[in-house]
Amino acid sequence: MVSGTFVEVAPPLRAREAGVVPASRESWWTRARRIAPPYLYLTPAVVLLVVWTYQPLAQTFVLSLHSWNLVPGTPMEEVGIANYERLLGTPELGRSVWRTVVVILGMLPFTVVIPVLVALLTRRVRGRAQGVYRALVFAPMLVAPVAGAAVWQWLLDPSAGAVNRVLGTDVNWLNTTGTAQLSIIVITGWHVAGFAVLVVTAGLTGINPDYAAAAQVDGASRSQVTRWITLPLLSPTLAFLVLMTVLLSAQWTFPLIDTLTQGGPVGSTTNIYYLLWEYGFRHHDAGLAAAAGVLFFAGFIVVAALLTRLAERLSHHDD
Amino acid sequence: MSRIQLQGITRRFGPVTAVDDVWLDIADGEFLVLLGPSGCGKSTLLRLIAGLLPPTEGRLWLDDTDLTHVPPQQRDLAMVFQSYALYPHLSVARNIGFPLRARKWPRAEIRAKVAEVAATLGLTALLDRKPKELSGGQRQRVALGRALVRDPGAFLLDEPLSNLDAKLRTGTRAEIAELHRSLGTTMVYVTHDQVEAMTMATRIALLDEGRLAQLGTPSEVYDRPASVFAATFLGSPAMNILDATVRSADGSLAAHGKGIELSLGIDAVLPDRPVRLGVRPEHLTFAPAGGRGIHAVVTAVENLGSEEVVQCLAGEGRIAVRGPRPLGVSAGDAVTLTARPEHLHLFDSASGRRLTWQPESVPASV
Repeated sequence: MVSGTFVEVAPPLRAREAGVVPASRESWWTRARRIAPPYLYLTPAVVLLVVWTYQPLAQTFVLSLHSWNLVPGTPMEEVGIANYERLLGTPELGRSVWRTVVVILGMLPFTVVIPVLVALLTRRVRGRAQGVYRALVFAPMLVAPVAGAAVWQWLLDPSAGAVNRVLGTDVNWLNTTGTAQLSIIVITGWHVAGFAVLVVTAGLTGINPDYAAAAQVDGASRSQVTRWITLPLLSPTLAFLVLMTVLLSAQWTFPLIDTLTQGGPVGSTTNIYYLLWEYGFRHHDAGLAAAAGVLFFAGFIVVAALLTRLAERLSHHDD
Repeated sequence: MSRIQLQGITRRFGPVTAVDDVWLDIADGEFLVLLGPSGCGKSTLLRLIAGLLPPTEGRLWLDDTDLTHVPPQQRDLAMVFQSYALYPHLSVARNIGFPLRARKWPRAEIRAKVAEVAATLGLTALLDRKPKELSGGQRQRVALGRALVRDPGAFLLDEPLSNLDAKLRTGTRAEIAELHRSLGTTMVYVTHDQVEAMTMATRIALLDEGRLAQLGTPSEVYDRPASVFAATFLGSPAMNILDATVRSADGSLAAHGKGIELSLGIDAVLPDRPVRLGVRPEHLTFAPAGGRGIHAVVTAVENLGSEEVVQCLAGEGRIAVRGPRPLGVSAGDAVTLTARPEHLHLFDSASGRRLTWQPESVPASV
């Protein structure tokens, strides 16, 4: 008879038990060389931002606490928050804010509704025709606003303008309080709609076509696919367009207002930026204009933050 | 009842023919696997059946209805996509309920049906989650659930297991096969994985460059491959293919080649004919050295755990032999390999099509 015993198989040997190997220390020079490159790459952009954006911003803030008539050589007089008090006391401010809201609301059809419709429809245009169509839609964006304004002024002319002739009306579009604002909105809309169409088209190509295919096989009609799948998945793009419209509408309209109406008639097209410009460069009240600039800047930051948050909650990330 | 018939279905993309004149008759309740390498047109064929692509030529029938120009919404088919295509903005419950919502079912009924399907797939706890909060296996189940929620005429599955890890794949494979048994619904299943095809299919349609290379049960396709392509696509390692010449000697036929002499077990006298000789790795056995067979040199021995694969060099050709471990050879050994005549496959040297032996009926001599 043979006797024996069971021996447990030993686990694989671990290096730690054989002897601890200390991690080597990195010298400060190699560490710096490893960490520095991203900051070096960022430096040019940061320098430009500081010089062209943050420094003027700070200067505007300083200017808003002074009284100055923009004439070089005349001294700036420190007035504290008097400019802000004056600004908030004028009824013009409230009116111009309201007109800005009207412009933004009036622009939304041109920057969101029409572009979505056009982009959805042009998806079905194929081949070379698609490129031609998009070029046609985008073309107004390439026309300089002032040049476009000159042409529109001629088209809207009350006596011989094409618009009145086509519509069979007798309206003095740019010199009547109601229609002046409408004209500004429509012309600005005509300018930026092509760009918005491109943005929506890009958003649509970013959606995986499998979703629409799956929805079709699942029995959804074309309009159901659009309502239940395409539009919800497009929501980040739409949120971006709304944000752009809210923040930039007043700026887009500026060259047109300056060329066509100069804020009139009776101030009916004076939005916040035109008001700011009037304070600064017509009344030569740099302090008041700067105060308005600071106020609008702060206001838009709040609006932008709210909209961005809303957009993040609304948008669905496609992964 | 849902029998799907494809009559000469062709699809061209510009100069490329993705699907080339495919004729298929898929019986009701069948599990047909469309098998082939990537780019063979199998997914395109499935999309043609689903109606997501119109065919360039040919017709498609579901039972007695001509589906060729029917939009996908009205085809009564359910499809599982390779990407699963779960709607990212909808919860699991809304994803599964989507086909019912599109059919305007009342809310309460949708909720009940979704709960029922979720229970069978073990998804009940996940109904409120969004697709991005799910693991790969869970997403795959939701995609299956969305197909199962209405009783479709047929299921179309486009590589549903390709995004799962190996272990999950084996489990899900068995589940889908079980699902097919319990539902009895026609399924068309696209895959490039021969194991999935062999284990699940009632019939395999093997596709090569858009054309149907072979159609048959898994055993038919494996045991009697119709071409060199079919022979080498199925099986792991692939079937050994060697150039040889069929020659008569002493009134019987044998395959001859460089270091090859294998009897075909056919008594006949024929002029010499060049062929491609095929033999599966598991059908090769080691014979005493110096005898008739394939003379080869072992180059490597691979250990698969339960089995071994021996790689050999015979003349200029490589040969793999598969057998139970240990086979008792090592690299550098000179070996002689033989195979039984019924395990030898002959293919035409030019076309690559299978050659079968047809004995001539001998006229009765009076």
